[in-house]
Amino acid sequence: MPAKFDLNDSSVVVIIGSGAGGGTLANELARRGIPVVVLEAGKRIEMTEFKNDEVWAFSHYTWFDSRTTSGSWSVAKTSPDLPVWTCKLVGGTTVHWGACALRFQEHEFKPRTRYGEISGASLLDWPVDLKEMEPYYDRAENRMGVTGTHGIPRLPVSNHGKVLFAGAKKLGYTQFETTNMAINPVPRDGRASCQQTGFCVQGCTFGAKWSTLYVDIPQAEATGKAEIRSESQALRIEHDASGKVTGVVYVDSTGKQQRQKARIVAVACNSIESPRLLLNSESSKFPQGLANSSGQVGKNYMRHTTGAVFAVFDKPVHMYRGTAQSGIVMDEARLDTKRGFVGGYQMELLPQGLPSFAQNIIPGGWGRDRAWVVDRYANVAGLWVIGEDMPRETNRITLHPDKKDQFGMPIPNIHVDDHPNDVAMRTHGYERGSALYDSIGAKRVVKVPPYPSTHNMGTNRMSTNPRDGVVNSYGQSHDIKNLFVSDGSQFVSSGGENPTLTIVALTLRQAEYIAAQMSKHEI
Amino acid sequence: MKDAKTSEKVTRRRFLAGSAATIAAAAASGTAILMDAKGAWSVELKSLQPEEARTLMVFVRDLFPHDRLPDSFYATAIAPLSDEAGKGPAAKRVLLDGIARLNSLARTSTGKSYTVADEKARVAVIKQIEGEPFFTKVYSTTVTSLYNQPKLWPLFGYEGPSSAKGGYLHRGFNDLNWL
Ligand SMILES: Cc1cc2nc3c(=O)[nH]c(=O)nc-3n(C[C@H](O)[C@H](O)[C@H](O)COP(=O)(O)OP(=O)(O)OC[C@H]3O[C@@H](n4cnc5c(N)ncnc54)[C@H](O)[C@@H]3O)c2cc1C
Ligand code: SF4
Repeated sequence: MPAKFDLNDSSVVVIIGSGAGGGTLANELARRGIPVVVLEAGKRIEMTEFKNDEVWAFSHYTWFDSRTTSGSWSVAKTSPDLPVWTCKLVGGTTVHWGACALRFQEHEFKPRTRYGEISGASLLDWPVDLKEMEPYYDRAENRMGVTGTHGIPRLPVSNHGKVLFAGAKKLGYTQFETTNMAINPVPRDGRASCQQTGFCVQGCTFGAKWSTLYVDIPQAEATGKAEIRSESQALRIEHDASGKVTGVVYVDSTGKQQRQKARIVAVACNSIESPRLLLNSESSKFPQGLANSSGQVGKNYMRHTTGAVFAVFDKPVHMYRGTAQSGIVMDEARLDTKRGFVGGYQMELLPQGLPSFAQNIIPGGWGRDRAWVVDRYANVAGLWVIGEDMPRETNRITLHPDKKDQFGMPIPNIHVDDHPNDVAMRTHGYERGSALYDSIGAKRVVKVPPYPSTHNMGTNRMSTNPRDGVVNSYGQSHDIKNLFVSDGSQFVSSGGENPTLTIVALTLRQAEYIAAQMSKHEI
Repeated sequence: MKDAKTSEKVTRRRFLAGSAATIAAAAASGTAILMDAKGAWSVELKSLQPEEARTLMVFVRDLFPHDRLPDSFYATAIAPLSDEAGKGPAAKRVLLDGIARLNSLARTSTGKSYTVADEKARVAVIKQIEGEPFFTKVYSTTVTSLYNQPKLWPLFGYEGPSSAKGGYLHRGFNDLNWL
């Protein structure tokens, strides 16, 4: 039974956002008997409402509230109105996600030490390391049901995977397999097994893919300790004279402003909206925004170095059949500065249905040359280069000086300039991805520039020293003890791996810490 | 490669025949109907005159020239533009001015209106308007409204929704055997 809490109940933990971070935290706290109110800007839809329809899903799930962008990154040109692709729903972007669930590598927690000083980058070591994270990764994999872990078999290789692996083998790569995916190959944990529908991104109609929408949120509600308020956008977090946060002002589903009191507030709005909310919560005591005595809120925005390579073959591939993320090549994920850059990248499959493919293959492209490629859609295979990008103080989220959203909240601007390391890595990735497909007889290879960012990290980063970041290794604000950040914005670096498993693992660690601190009455 | 080119030429000829067979007629005042000479399909475009509708349709085919597609798909693709133009004078002005511009540029270079000019000339016209509001509006609308027609999908080998059919688990997700 979902709980119902009074607006004046100041014993609750208010969690803002219900995606990978927020949904997991709600479940973990509620299970421990801690009362939780989740404020979620998006609607609540049921799994039964999902449709195998790319255009419908995109237009119904996406966060479309306006954002602006600046800087020299290509997205500012190809997608200025939608620089970032995340969901506005209960379950957040875990409704869309492809379920590729990878751990960071050991060196990726120590980028400053292992990469050295990189000019134009604000590298810092994480205050946690792989060893510390391993038990939490382990638990995260178990609860999400990640293939290749905990005795869960790998999913079978799809057509699209076969093409990737054939090319990888030809190039002499050795580390390729069907990806670790948070998708059930066999029924598990009350969820069905994958039917290879190929619509993971549109919401899994079978529930085989992990999402907080139908896993953590209902589990949290079943404890009787959690209340989810959908269509409730937080506008600002309030504090008392001592500087402790006291509650959250939000707009409810009827459009009315409300104030929910809180013992603790956890911000889990993804890496654009979380710093936006903190910055918008400025006050006379905290004129730079909440949790921002370091001035680091909004800075060091990372979105992975990406680029896609599509190849046209003579014979059919039907890349759209089966799980989205069914294959990965990990050979380039190593740290090897001989390639001309620090950090590494993965090559992951990137299937698209015809509507998405036609829209994205050559942004803004037209005419016979483009049509030639689209005509051969059934024979196309594609991979995504995703690698570590460099944090830079100047890549940042700021509040727009005059543009406001429907509730009068300043909209965010996203500024990004590629670091030379990003450019070198992308160039290398395009070259290796092309070589991979060429080696098995591609007729033509098309290199696609980065899409709107689906992986968003780093804008409230952790640090050992409060001067260098916003939160400590538990996501707790350096400035305000009862304020937490519970999403990918805590990341100190991006690693070369998709972020969600790490977000969930960090959240499990954070939940343990919050519960312990609460029982000691520290917060 | 050579084979592909020859067959493209053949289908291109077929397209020209097909396109010429599409009739642009006037229904009620200010409403165009694009239809097949044989009456196999028709699309009503409430905010356009017949010749405007045909020009827009040919322009969208030039943007996304798939010879295997009959005109019905392009006529359907432009319907949302016409609908939007029906809702406000600003949108209508962008559309009508753009169509007029296509014709005037075509006339300057070839002495003919856009739909009558040859493909090379039409492509040259498009290059001149790339990035203008009309181009951007038509492009961003029709790149979705063209390819998001379920009837079109099989022509490109895309099978569409699969959940109701039990996914591809037993329907070929791993049937590739040419490697
Ligand atoms: C197409 C796609 C594919 C992806 N595939 C993968 C993958 O294979 N592997 C992987 O690791 N990652 C993947 N990702 C990324 C993954 O989805 C995100 O990393 C993850 O969901 C981030 O979790 P989060 O909790 O930070 O934010 P989200 O999951 O985005 O949740 C944030 C929530 O906060 C809400 N919110 C925001 N502001 C407010 C406010 N002011 N008040 C109330 N609510 C608010 C939002 O509506 C949203 O529901 C993919 C993303 C996309 C778009
Ligand atoms: S491919 Fe599998 S995981 Fe993906 S949507 Fe279909 S059933 Fe769900």
